[in-house]
Amino acid sequence: MAFAPSDHASDAALTAHKILIAGGFGAGKTTLVSAISEVRPLLTEEPLSAASVGRDSLAGLPGKKTTTVALDFGRITISDSLVLYLFGVPGQERFWFMWDELAYGALGAIVLADVRRLGDCFPSVNYFETRGLPFVVAVNCFDGAPRYDLGEVRLALDLDEDVPLMLTDARNQASVKNTLIRLVESIAAGGEGLAPAQGRRIIAGR
Amino acid sequence: MPPGRWVRRDSGPVVRPYAVTGGRTEPADGEVLDIIAVVVAMPGSEAEDDDLQRRTPEHRRILAMCQRQATVADIAAGTALPLGVVRVLLSDLILSGAVTVIRQRPAGLRPGNDVLQEILNGLRAL
Repeated sequence: MAFAPSDHASDAALTAHKILIAGGFGAGKTTLVSAISEVRPLLTEEPLSAASVGRDSLAGLPGKKTTTVALDFGRITISDSLVLYLFGVPGQERFWFMWDELAYGALGAIVLADVRRLGDCFPSVNYFETRGLPFVVAVNCFDGAPRYDLGEVRLALDLDEDVPLMLTDARNQASVKNTLIRLVESIAAGGEGLAPAQGRRIIAGR
Repeated sequence: MPPGRWVRRDSGPVVRPYAVTGGRTEPADGEVLDIIAVVVAMPGSEAEDDDLQRRTPEHRRILAMCQRQATVADIAAGTALPLGVVRVLLSDLILSGAVTVIRQRPAGLRPGNDVLQEILNGLRAL
């Protein structure tokens, strides 16, 4: 992957922004990130926190204090000094302890929904609503999945009217691009100085 | 980790992740770098490698990637080292003055409309 062509501290400082891609397991997060950017796995060796107690079985592993999680990570170069990062956040509840760090300072989020398992994206919707992080809900158009009216989906998700809801094909670059544009437009419409996500920083190794 | 005949990319790490940090799990300066904090090597930092600094091969790989401005996530993906390990090793390089942090974390408030417009223009041009 090419990095921004800038050398040393004397060059214009690089600015990085991040957008989270959330949704249930199998909702198409990896597909979406790879449709629009080069994807690389990002390994995180996360401390096993209270959030994973009772979820990650530690029987017979008294010394195990961390767990390895691979995140999908995409990079979109906007200009020499501006880069947009996409992070696919693992949807399973046992990975929730990672969300606060990823959400900290994020521009916003795309919640991918699969109408066959709409309930899988409830936790993501709840999370971003609670944090006040701008988000859009993108219904991934899987082949063979039933098509529902977006109004019905909005009702089923109990989604506020001001949260954009759209159909997306996570495999299609133009479709993903439009979804990202809708998200950034809605962030811009949200007004200057909107409160940031109040993410709690995770201290490694505790 | 050198590519070996018996090790495939998906085999996972051959050494325990924090072995390359000497067992340390927290950055030496106590400061946890944001996943998209931007860092860059100071000019001449690669030449200053000597025994006193005790740089490991992983330190040198990270330093090589810092010759251009890069984020913590870029470095972790580029070196295939776990994020936590990169944070610990980067903090060593920062403490020794070899690397400096340009941006620790995104600004507290959402970026201004000019930045959002630049992002929109960039996305539309994809």
